[in-house]
Formats: sequence, C-alpha cells, structure tokens
Amino acid sequence: MAIKYTEKVIEHFKNPHNIGVIEDADACATEGSPACGDEITVYLKIDKRTDRIVDVKFQSYGCASNIATGSIITDLAKGKTIDEAEAITWKQAADELGGLPPVKMHCSVLAVDGLRSAIRKYKKEVKGIDYDATLTVDAITRELEHVLWPPVGVDIITLKMVKYIGIEGGAVKVEISAGSDEKYLEPTIDEIFEHVSKIKGVKSVSVDNV
Amino acid sequence: MIYLDNFRGTMVAPEAWEAMRIVATEQYAVPAPFTQCGTGSAELIEGAQSRLAAAIGASSGEVVFTGSGTEAINIGLLGSVRAQTIDKPEIVTSEIEYPATLAVYRALEKQGYVAHYIGVDGEGRYNLEQLASVLNEHTVLVSLMGVNHMIGTIEPLAEAGEIVAEAARRVGRKIPLHIDFASALQTQRLDVDAVHADLVSFSSNKIHGPKGVGALYVRKGTKIVPISFGADSYSPLVPGTPNTMGIAGFDKALELLYANFDADVEHMKQLRDRLADGIRERVPYILLNGPEGPGRAASHLCYSFLFIEGEAIMMFLDMDGIIVDTGSACAAATLKPNYILMAIGRNHEEAHGSIRFTLSRYTTQEDIDTTLSRLVPIVERLRAQSTIKPPAS
Repeated sequence: MAIKYTEKVIEHFKNPHNIGVIEDADACATEGSPACGDEITVYLKIDKRTDRIVDVKFQSYGCASNIATGSIITDLAKGKTIDEAEAITWKQAADELGGLPPVKMHCSVLAVDGLRSAIRKYKKEVKGIDYDATLTVDAITRELEHVLWPPVGVDIITLKMVKYIGIEGGAVKVEISAGSDEKYLEPTIDEIFEHVSKIKGVKSVSVDNV
Repeated sequence: MIYLDNFRGTMVAPEAWEAMRIVATEQYAVPAPFTQCGTGSAELIEGAQSRLAAAIGASSGEVVFTGSGTEAINIGLLGSVRAQTIDKPEIVTSEIEYPATLAVYRALEKQGYVAHYIGVDGEGRYNLEQLASVLNEHTVLVSLMGVNHMIGTIEPLAEAGEIVAEAARRVGRKIPLHIDFASALQTQRLDVDAVHADLVSFSSNKIHGPKGVGALYVRKGTKIVPISFGADSYSPLVPGTPNTMGIAGFDKALELLYANFDADVEHMKQLRDRLADGIRERVPYILLNGPEGPGRAASHLCYSFLFIEGEAIMMFLDMDGIIVDTGSACAAATLKPNYILMAIGRNHEEAHGSIRFTLSRYTTQEDIDTTLSRLVPIVERLRAQSTIKPPAS
C-alpha cells in the first residue's frame, strides 16, 4: 500500500510556519530525543495579563511530518489562551493536515507534547501551578495514551494493549500485549520508556510483552 | 527526473525493452520441443543462460532464471538446506545481508536451525576470523554478498570462499556457499571458481533489465531440492511457464552490461567522485558510510548529514525531482534505523541523517551538478531549522 503525505503536509513541510527561535521566550520545551528519532523545541511568548499566546516558534530535528506537525500545531496555538492551547490534541493537529500515515502519527503526538510541555512550564514557573503528575496508575495511563501502535496509529490504551501497570517505590512495571508482530514492538517499547520516564518520581521502567 | 537510487532498481534499457517487446508480441510461444516456435523460445532461454554462465565462469546448465532476485535467494538457500540431512544443522551469514537472505535465515531459525550472524568492521567488511570460527561439522549453509547495498562495501569473497572451502575439507564434506551478487553485478566481475561459490543469485532489475526476473547459479553436483512445484518444462527448481519476455530483457541487459563494462564503471566512478568531492567541499559535518576508494562499489555513495534527518532531505530532493534513499528510522515502516548502519557502529542520530546516492551508466555530469546545487541549500536550510546545532568551534 502506498504510504504518502497529503498535499497539506507537503505544503507545511516545504514552507513551515513559525519556524525559528524566540530569544526572550516566556517558556520553551524540548520533546523527543535524537536517539529515539525526532526532536522538537517549542518557544512561547505569552501576554501575562491575558494568558494569551502572542507568539510561538519551533525548531525540529525530524522528518517531513515532524516539521509539518510543528508548523500546524504552532498555527493552532497562536492567539489562543494557554488553557485553550493546552487542550489541542494530536488528533486535531493530524486532522488539520488532512491526515497522517499511521506510522507517522507519533510525530503529531510529539508536536503536541512539545507545546503542552512549554505551557506547563509556564504555568509552573510563572503562575505557580504545578502540573507535574505524581506517580499514580492514572498518571501513567495518561502518558501511555500518547504511545501509538505504529501499524494503525491508535494509542495503546485505546487498543487495550496495556494489561498491567504496577508501581513499587519508583519502579514502574508495564505489561503490554503486542502479539507476535515483533517489528513494531521495539520502537513501541522505546516510546513507553520515554513517556513513563518523564513522570515525576519514576526511577526505573520495565516493559514486558506478555 | 534525476534517478540516483539505482541500487533499489534501475530503468529498463531501451534495447532491453525492445527485446522484450519482440518476445511479447512476436516470439511469444512457450518453450516446447519439436515445433519451430517452441524450440525458438527454448533456444532464447538457453542463449540467455549461456551468456550469464560465460560471464561468471560457469556452464550454461548451471544457470536457471527465476521470478526475482529474492526468489533466487529463496530457492538457493531453502533448496540447499532441505537437500541435506545433517544433525543439529547450523547456518551462517552476516549481520548486513540483504533483507531476503535475513528473512530466510530467521524463518529457518524458527524451524530449529542454529544461525550465526557474523559481524563487520567499521567499513562493513566481513569479520573473516569470526566466519572461520563458526564453521563446523554442523554447518549446512553459508550465505554472503558481493557488494553491500546500503554502504557499497565490496566484500572479500575470495578470502571468505577459501575459508569455507577449508572448513569443508576439515569436516570432509561440501559446505554450500551462496553468494548474493544482485548489488554487485553492476560494477563487479565474478568468477564462481575463484570465490568457491556453489550458489549465486542475481537480479535483472539492478542492471537495466526488467523487474520480475532473477537468476540462480547452481554449481554442478550441489545438493538442492525444489521449494515449489508445478510443471517442470523449464527447470524443476523453477516450475511453471518461464517468463521468456523478462528473460529476453535480462539477456539484453547482460549483453549491454558487458559491452562497455570497464568504461561504464569508470564513468560511474568519476561521477560518483565528483558528487563526493562536491559534498565534502561544500557541506561540513558529514560522515561517509562504508569504505573510501577501491574497496567501494564505483556507483555507490552514502553520507550521513549530521544534525538533520534523512527523510526530510530525501523528501526535499524528491520535490526537486531527485531520487535518493535514506537509512533513517523515519523512512522505515518499522521506525527503526537501518540495521547495516547500526552494524558498522553508527549511532541512531548518525543513521538518521544518512542519504544513499547510487548511480547508473546513464547518470550524467549535469545530473550530479544539479543534485549538488539542490542538496547544499536543503542541508543548510534543515540545519537552520534543527534543534541540534553543530558544536561551537
């Protein structure tokens, strides 16, 4: 089957909006890492009186869909209040682009994560609201909603692939049921590691395919 | 279109296309005895077998045409191991083989074969000491390749063949050696005796013949059984009606390949070097994947462009009508970085920014100069956009 990008993805990739750096940003956050693939940094300039995003820029170490989702997510966020922008979902971003190939949906998740992290940093540092999740099964579940199963582009919670989440001290144990489709297993486990590790209080993560 | 992805597949040479047209519309009879048209088709295939056999130091009866390079690999590897009855059988290949070979090995592992995957050095050359160390009385198959498709490394086949032959003498029986020569055929000559090959697979599609045709050399006396079944009017190993149109195209492609072989290889090498020099002069922070100089296939170049991602480079070039390939995880359906780049010691980030340029005899200097003129600003632009910056000097 042909895996291809929509014209809108190509347009945003060719001429990305809001690319660059805001030197005096009120908040900035980097998500992803070069080791596991893509990385995105989002910069926000926020009107502190109205909590409205007056300017937003991003940089991307990533593929065409990473650049395109960075472009669309910053378009969507510009002019919105931080609460409105925080509510933007990866699905909305992908829909705005006319869809993404399932295997590329994680790029959209990454862009949304970048935006949300920057907003939460601002909320914590400027507004004194600490959004850092405490270590609960709920918090882990919410993070795992950002891990997509590549062949279908749907998160592993919705797909009911997560069978068990255990917490002992700071050690988190996640059991998933990914069948024998081994080629997607390793990158998915990497993503679970990445997402669960960033929850405050997590000391170690183990993932088993049961 | 500037097509620099010839290791994936090539344009059909116009002369090959004409040869195919004649067979498709005029000499279309199925090979058969006695009748003029039936024997004519049979002779066409025999002629093609003879041409390939002569080029590799074999005899005509040792070559069969298959439905693809992948099918040749499957027939050669599976047919060979199934023909042997050795206790606790072991099979040997390397970490950087073509996906078809690795897929057959993984399938055999599931059936209980013990597989050894030998490593390579930083330029992709086989670890021959490791090869020698894993061969034993249980070994039933060794599969190696002539040129690595991702990094262009010319593998030391003669030395490897000698090691396998020596092990065979030690255990007192033949250890079949399969060579995947698909990516090598464009730029390397082969003498099956010099490398001690028992099985060699080829693909028409890599040398300006049509897709859907391959060939398998089977040394006389090599134990092999069919892996699929049907009318064996052509060969028991490749049952069914032979693809005479495809074979005619492959045959013409082989004729053209050897018509100006050395000059064509030199032409590709000069243009490849022009591309490499241009990139080196104009783009900082790059890594050459695979060897430099005579250890590398003449038509092959693969660079990692640091701090940026290869799929984005590939897509920008594609929009300018320039076709290349990348080993980036982002371009793979599995989201894993290319296993060959990882095997030579590249990290994820280095594999991420890899671009492979593979030339053909049809590539022109203008193609190379246009590619360079487009590539340089693409790399600069993506680096300006990237979260990762070069270290401050």
